[in-house]
Amino acid sequence: MQKFFSNRKLVIVIIVLIISFGLMSVSVAVRNKKSTPPLLQQFGNDVAGAVDRVIAWPVNGLQGASNSVSDLLNTYQENQKLKKQVDQLAQAKVNAQTATAENKQLRKELKLNNSLTAYTAVTANVLTRTPSSWMNQLVISKGATAGIKKNMPVMSQSGLIGRVVEVNQTNSKVELISSTSSSADKFAIQVTNKAGSTVNGIVTGYDKSTNLIEMGSVTSKTKIKKGDKVVTSGLGGVTPKGLYVGTVAKVKQDDYGLASEVEITPAANLTDLTVVTVAVQ
Amino acid sequence: MRVSRLRIIFPVGLFLALFLDGSLSNVFAAHLFKYPYSSVLHLVLLWIIFAVFLDDRNDLSIGIWSAFAGLVFDWYYTGILGVYMVALPLVVYLSRQIKPWLDLNFLTMLMVYIINLTIVEAFVYIWYLIGKVMTSNLADFAVYTLGPTIAVNLALFVILYYPVRQLYLKVS
Repeated sequence: MQKFFSNRKLVIVIIVLIISFGLMSVSVAVRNKKSTPPLLQQFGNDVAGAVDRVIAWPVNGLQGASNSVSDLLNTYQENQKLKKQVDQLAQAKVNAQTATAENKQLRKELKLNNSLTAYTAVTANVLTRTPSSWMNQLVISKGATAGIKKNMPVMSQSGLIGRVVEVNQTNSKVELISSTSSSADKFAIQVTNKAGSTVNGIVTGYDKSTNLIEMGSVTSKTKIKKGDKVVTSGLGGVTPKGLYVGTVAKVKQDDYGLASEVEITPAANLTDLTVVTVAVQ
Repeated sequence: MRVSRLRIIFPVGLFLALFLDGSLSNVFAAHLFKYPYSSVLHLVLLWIIFAVFLDDRNDLSIGIWSAFAGLVFDWYYTGILGVYMVALPLVVYLSRQIKPWLDLNFLTMLMVYIINLTIVEAFVYIWYLIGKVMTSNLADFAVYTLGPTIAVNLALFVILYYPVRQLYLKVS
């Protein structure tokens, strides 16, 4: 025991712990600032990202191969199902094209240049996931050079998955919507029911046991049913309007019985992500 | 000549393990982070423990390399500095302290690895808790994080023990 806790060693241990704690406190405190991370850290992350690309490539390749095999096994059923959808899709596509063209024209006439729905999509590969049980973070392969900024929303092919929390030059970190950290700022979303009326709210949490997104403190009397579509509302400015979030799973009273809580089935699968899209405004 | 080869192999393997941790976590996310369990891969720690106990001459600067790997982990994966950067060298130091007392074989190394996994996970848990990075209670941590983490990493240890030992015997 003498060897472990001699005076000098004890002092060194305490100093190291204090330095470690100080570094952590500072980085937690500055995490949400616009200027974070500092240039040196960005450079370090860019180098790490470049090396990681080399290692992530074969691993992701293997994942792609195994996904292809399982896709192949389901091909027949999927083909049957898709055939039915294709006919309806052509109709919907033409409709959407006409509406978009008309929308553009009308907007020009109103001199309305920046609408809430306009954004460009930047596609990025997922390099890695933080190996920690306390953070649901991904590192993606595009950064500031591709126009990505902090707090931009990130989607998979099927729907919203999270937001950008740290931007380096050539890669950036994404915090998933399933993250329960208290500092995670939440998305403004809206539910549209069959009659066309909307209910606004924000994502207040994520229920890990059922994999549902929660939208709490809803006091509106508008009737919401299971299966109604949920999209981002564009309020607050950072997130464009109309990104698909999911469908309503159920509506229940909250714990105090004053407001209701809407539970939403996310459209995206948060555990199988290889390619994501960042909505750049 | 023979020494210098290990001096190159060790850091290369260390960073390979570091990035494989993240890549494999992403690929197997559906299995590793299945609610309520979350098992964290610790290939870096495994590689460090192998190096401490299998390198007989103590001529690798494992402490410094592990601090550097911890720094890259903090910057690249979590964005919160000073946690793994201290946890990994701490484990190296403690392992070096108990190494002379141990009769080295497969089972004692397995035990030491379990203890070190617990130290690192507990250190990170306590630090993140104090720093308000996350909120979780001790029982949940022990049952849903520490348990599965030890299980997964022990399996990896058993698989990788003999190949890595062969590597060290051959090279050094």
